[in-house]
Amino acid sequence: MNNVYKILVFGLILGCWSCLDVVEVDLEEATPRLVVDATLQKNIVNNSENQIIKISRTRDFFSDEPVLVEGATVSVTDENGEVFNFQETNPGEYTFNDFQPVFETTYFLEVEVEGQLLTAEETYTEGLEIDVVSQSFGTGFSDDQFQVRAFFTDDGTGNNFYLFKFFTDFLFFPDFTLIDDEFISGNSNSVTFSDEDLVEGETVLIQLHKISRGYYNYLQRLLAQVGAAGGPFQAQPSTVRGNIVNETNPDDFVFGYFSISEYDEVSITIEPEND
Amino acid sequence: MFIFGQEFTLIGTVSDKSGFELPDVNIAIAGTNIGTVTDFEGNFEITLPKGQYTLVFQSISFETQEININLTENQSINVELADSQEELDDVVVRTKIEKTDVRSTQMSANSLTSATIKKVPVVLGEPDVIRSLIQLPGVSSAGEGASGFNVRGGGADQNLILVDDATVFNSSHLFGLFSIFNPDAIKDLTLYKGGIPAKYGGRVSSVLDIQQRSGNPDKFSGEGSIGVVSSKLLLEGPVNDGQTTYLVSGRSSYAHLFLQLADNPNSAYFYDLNAKVNHRIDNNNNLSLSAYYGRDVISINDNFVNTFGTTFVSARWSHTFNENLFSNMSFIVNDYFYNLNLDSVGFEFDSGVRNLNYKYAFNYLLNDEITFDFGIESFLHEFNPGNIRPNSETSGILSRQLTKNYANENAVFFDVDQELTNRLSIRYGFRLSAFLRQGQRKINVYEDDLPVLYNSRFGIYEQADPIDVISASRSEILNSFINFEPRISLAYAFNDDHSVKLGYNRMVQNLHLITNSSSPTPLDVWTPSGQFIDPQILDQIAFGYFSNLNEDKFSIETELFYRKIDNTIDFIDGANLIANEFIERDILMGEGRAYGWEFLFKKNTGKLTGWIAYTLSRSEQRTPGRTPDEPGINNGEWYLNNFDKTHDVSVVASYELDDRWEFNLNFIAQTGQPVNFPVGQYQFQDLTIPVFEGRNLNRLPTFHRLDLGVNHYPRKYKDKSRKAYWNFSIYNAYNRMNANSIIFRQDQQSGQNEAVRLAIFGIVPALSYNIKF
Repeated sequence: MNNVYKILVFGLILGCWSCLDVVEVDLEEATPRLVVDATLQKNIVNNSENQIIKISRTRDFFSDEPVLVEGATVSVTDENGEVFNFQETNPGEYTFNDFQPVFETTYFLEVEVEGQLLTAEETYTEGLEIDVVSQSFGTGFSDDQFQVRAFFTDDGTGNNFYLFKFFTDFLFFPDFTLIDDEFISGNSNSVTFSDEDLVEGETVLIQLHKISRGYYNYLQRLLAQVGAAGGPFQAQPSTVRGNIVNETNPDDFVFGYFSISEYDEVSITIEPEND
Repeated sequence: MFIFGQEFTLIGTVSDKSGFELPDVNIAIAGTNIGTVTDFEGNFEITLPKGQYTLVFQSISFETQEININLTENQSINVELADSQEELDDVVVRTKIEKTDVRSTQMSANSLTSATIKKVPVVLGEPDVIRSLIQLPGVSSAGEGASGFNVRGGGADQNLILVDDATVFNSSHLFGLFSIFNPDAIKDLTLYKGGIPAKYGGRVSSVLDIQQRSGNPDKFSGEGSIGVVSSKLLLEGPVNDGQTTYLVSGRSSYAHLFLQLADNPNSAYFYDLNAKVNHRIDNNNNLSLSAYYGRDVISINDNFVNTFGTTFVSARWSHTFNENLFSNMSFIVNDYFYNLNLDSVGFEFDSGVRNLNYKYAFNYLLNDEITFDFGIESFLHEFNPGNIRPNSETSGILSRQLTKNYANENAVFFDVDQELTNRLSIRYGFRLSAFLRQGQRKINVYEDDLPVLYNSRFGIYEQADPIDVISASRSEILNSFINFEPRISLAYAFNDDHSVKLGYNRMVQNLHLITNSSSPTPLDVWTPSGQFIDPQILDQIAFGYFSNLNEDKFSIETELFYRKIDNTIDFIDGANLIANEFIERDILMGEGRAYGWEFLFKKNTGKLTGWIAYTLSRSEQRTPGRTPDEPGINNGEWYLNNFDKTHDVSVVASYELDDRWEFNLNFIAQTGQPVNFPVGQYQFQDLTIPVFEGRNLNRLPTFHRLDLGVNHYPRKYKDKSRKAYWNFSIYNAYNRMNANSIIFRQDQQSGQNEAVRLAIFGIVPALSYNIKF
């Protein structure tokens, strides 16, 4: 349902006479804010994984160079007091190797940067497997494209939130799809991905993350800014705030989110369609 | 028997060429201040001293007629007015554009006839009611691709749109490309921007009252047109020697067929059907039945199929008690329906609004100076926020019916139109509305009655989880909202040609369109006032100067207006409004205001007719936090509405070269729509996120466009029984790529950030052939 606005945009553009042109726009620049991308994730199959937390600053919209923030102290503590200290391995990137989170445990993030103390908390819960992945041709929004479909089964306990990510070589950033269990509780359901560059021989890496309600709400608002930003059916643009709090200066809020999720990953390579 | 002062009475009836009596025809005695108006049966009565007089009969959509009489005894006459549309072949053309009604207490209103609507060149060659309306001052649209229209800074959902008394919820086909009204079936329409008579209520911003016409009582006739994108056909005629008439018309677009020929599996099309049956029971009773069925279908590879539209049936009984008292009783059944079928997700979704509506209105002429309008109105509403079901066996979707809402809306109104003196007229009255929210299957109970919570730690608004869910039967009243809406307007006429008017009205709206986008989409849901949503209340004051110059050759209308609205609705960030069962968890209430100056200059007669309209205005909203700790929206400061337009200029011109060629021109220039540009960016999980601050702080580039049209009437159809003409039009003649929106995004292939302008229409020529038989 969240994609419906995007779909309506496509529908309108089909109107044969509409044009998309790149234009020059003068933009103002706001005071830069800190951004903390603390997305911790663990593969359902592997026991452990390297975690990277990235800290940067916001910058002018047309500026290509990211502004990285170095010299921060980053740590994650579990509810029992065990501390995992992250090391700055690259500018702006803070890594911890071999992170083994435990189910039903709450973790606390602490970042000390430029005299500010930033904190957040999140609970880690068990993930869900992808049942099966299949491909089809001409069934999606276009009758001449391949489409991949990932199936999963909700456990029916209610309040489950899922994030699907589709990675390919030809896209600069992955495709995000969010789905909650409100209309599918306890049932098997599927999510699709399609693109005109998805041709024979291309591989799609599909991840299914089981995420928290807070992260789901955050991503929904975030993706609304990315997907339909300024489009004809634009939702009102907003300043999307996450769960990381600036304890030192609460008004000087920080972008980004601290999340921990377990995910399953399957990859599929497009094969020639059998006729 | 004494004869006092040698006065005699002239009585008569005014009707049209088909014998149908005409109400509201102005009758003036040339050279005097004396005048009167025909009643609902077309009758009039004037008492005058013995002498010779010229009576001037005037009415919208008819040719003005002058009759000389020599009044030496009591007389009665019958007058037939010619339909102004029929005069096309005559060399001398009288009033084509409606001149300003200087004396009437009605202000802030514009009437248009079907003929005027057809003069405004439009995209794809199809004359369009809404596109004609937005050329008037104070009326605009949110942009190409936006459905509906905005009046004096009000939202598109705040217009009461009536077609033969039936309320219409969505006035557009295909996202604003066409309006749902077929101009061939329309008799006349009036748009009230202010000074709204007490008989109208239920929406705050404006009233668009459209009356469809009845069939031809003399003979079977019809008209049709074939165009590049759509076609229409209208058939009408008498049954029973003209006691009963019928009119049936249909329109359909078919550009989607061309797409399918080109192997494109997508299609977007619409069709609509109008029908009206009119039956004259006797001289005092008339029955009419009006029906409409319209649908839009948008299909993307059969995977996404979206169908929506309006259906209504409206029955009206007009009754004349005596020469002073007249009534109209209407009964309407109405359905607005929306369906979405999405194969890739496996679900089908329905939503909509339905109502039953009853109106009983009276018009009582106490004497020449005082007329009363009074009556009652009642609605039974049913709102369906959504029905979700799987559309195949393999779908994992659960069937679910979101809780329907019910309401009973009632009103009683009373209006007095009074001529206090020769120069001063006043209309005063009120509408008393009672809106009753009825019980429903599931009602959420929240802690402290707060469905929206503010999380001060994260600085965001969140939905509250209900602490209990209760149920109430439909016969229970959960909430009631009783509102008194005073309406008053004054007109002071210096003479027949110049007047000033002052008006105040209060309007109350209890049905709210829940939309998160800059203009309504069919996905948007209507919801009734209730425990957590108060009625919207608007107060408007307007002052205007009206003038006819050079013997009605020119007209000037200028108005200043100020409105304020209580209980506007805005949404917390990230509100998902689709299939949202309990919308109160995403809403914040605020206030709004709009003010401006409108100027209209019209040339009513001659070969060149038309108008220039200019509006200078502002429309804004404010949603403060509920407590001092909460930020509200935009930090509680005023922000522009999505459809605010500082400057809005329209020029409409029509030049009749001779009886075979007519040239039409339309030019619009408007300040660009308010939007938000990003003030920064950052990366999160490989996605580039634009940073926005504030609300509607930027604007799109200025919008301007020129449309041209030519109507050509070939000579071979001199026989009036068959007329045909060609229409050739060019929309956006100099191909300006007006920005509908600017999309800030990261290019999916290169990863570079870019600003992309979406323009919906470049230059679009169109051709159509129209025939009347």
